[in-house]
Amino acid sequence: MKKIVEIALGIVTSVGGFLEIGSIATAAQAGADFSFQLIWAIVLGGLSIIFLVEQAGRFSAVSGRTIPDAIRERFGFNYFAFLFLVLTLVCLLVLSAEIGGVCIALELATGVKFPFWAIPVAFVIWLVIWKGTFGVIEKGVSMLGLVTLCFVVGAWIIHPPWGQVIKSAAPSIPQHDGAHYWFVAVSILGASISPYLFFFYAAGAIEDEWKETHVGINRVIATAGMSFGSVISIAVLILAAMIFAPQGIKFEHYSQLPALLMPVFGYWGFWLVVASVGIACLGAAMEITLQMAYFAAQGFGWNWSENQRPLDEARFSAAYTLIIILGAIASLIGIDPLGLTIFSMVATAATLPVSIVPFLFLMNDYSYVRGYRNGWFSNAVVIVLIGLAFVLAVVAIPLQIFGGS
Amino acid sequence: MDLIRDCLDKQIEDNSKRRMGRVDGIILELETGRPPRVAYLELGVTTLMNRLSKRLGKLVARLLSRLEISPDPYRIALGKVKVGLNTVHVDVEAEKTPALEWELWLRKKVIGRIPGA
Repeated sequence: MKKIVEIALGIVTSVGGFLEIGSIATAAQAGADFSFQLIWAIVLGGLSIIFLVEQAGRFSAVSGRTIPDAIRERFGFNYFAFLFLVLTLVCLLVLSAEIGGVCIALELATGVKFPFWAIPVAFVIWLVIWKGTFGVIEKGVSMLGLVTLCFVVGAWIIHPPWGQVIKSAAPSIPQHDGAHYWFVAVSILGASISPYLFFFYAAGAIEDEWKETHVGINRVIATAGMSFGSVISIAVLILAAMIFAPQGIKFEHYSQLPALLMPVFGYWGFWLVVASVGIACLGAAMEITLQMAYFAAQGFGWNWSENQRPLDEARFSAAYTLIIILGAIASLIGIDPLGLTIFSMVATAATLPVSIVPFLFLMNDYSYVRGYRNGWFSNAVVIVLIGLAFVLAVVAIPLQIFGGS
Repeated sequence: MDLIRDCLDKQIEDNSKRRMGRVDGIILELETGRPPRVAYLELGVTTLMNRLSKRLGKLVARLLSRLEISPDPYRIALGKVKVGLNTVHVDVEAEKTPALEWELWLRKKVIGRIPGA
């Protein structure tokens, strides 16, 4: 019974915490510009993140180590420093986008322009991390994130042509705007396969004191949680395909988001979108902030844990405080949150090989994962992912220039 | 023991199992006619930067000196070191060593002054 509760809680947490500003923006853009045609990109991204999250959880449960810890040990300081620099830059962009998402939700709710919300939002994020425990952030915020399931309900009620939806799960060649099509596909994959997601999941396994006995639970949570999470992204795409695409509406500003649910839920649709975007982005911002502070603390060997008093881990606490301040700057100076989101998703896609390659080595190292090493299938999937990540890295920048309209 | 594999970059814990940093460097003593001997483990930003590039190491050392912070890394004699499977245990009290200088400074001057710390 205890295991069932643990699994259920884990799945609920993963589903509630899945959606963030990147998934919402890229799915809405894909639906508006290419109808259902890019559903395959969300499916591919979802499958990839299931494998990576499962492996990250298995790694921490069996080895009792976090990934940055092992990367520094196994690959030395020079590689760690390179990865630290790259991930810090990319995660700061994503964090800025998430803070922007919360600010936009507040702008929609109050009419007060989003830059005015940057400081209050940053303060709330900091306060929850400062006073809260890992459980509060992981479970509490993710539970609230279940409000994002309203997109799934909306997509169900709107009666999309299910045959076409299922057919779009297979990749297809674009009929028009080739560069833009591949650009949106890359940004969807960047939003789905976020290194912060599986690094944070691995750190969470240590915070929750997972042991070898959690390997089975981890597999169920990773598979079910990430699958249901991807369904929410697909629901956003379906809504955009049903509402924006037929009218030729381009998704160019977050103020268009309420239009996704208002035709279905009327007045309440507006508030459901505001709550979904606000809570999903708030949760993601906390997770990214913690992930960046964890990465520094684990790699440099500082004391760290979200469950300790800030005074007992001053460097860790100072790190997340500084990260939040830096992350709020973009919103404060009024940088367009949608443009920033799309750019940060493409940047994530471009830097994937840097974090996935060492992970493959770790998952095959007997000294860390002993008898729980990757089988041939898991290795094949990660190698394909690395290939995909390499292609994304090569094409992401030219697509940013030619297709990022 | 393979020094690079089993010791370098490992987590260091003090005598009360408090994380105090990582093995940033290993100092070997060379004597004519005798095999090299491990003398100290080193912790410190200058050692880390030296591993990236000598020029960067010198630059950081100069910067720290200008800020009146000692650029010298903290050295732990081998006699106080026990290398475990995942962790290097050292028989010192972390808070009384320069390894936690930054941690204690931040605690006293910044974090400790914020309500609820």
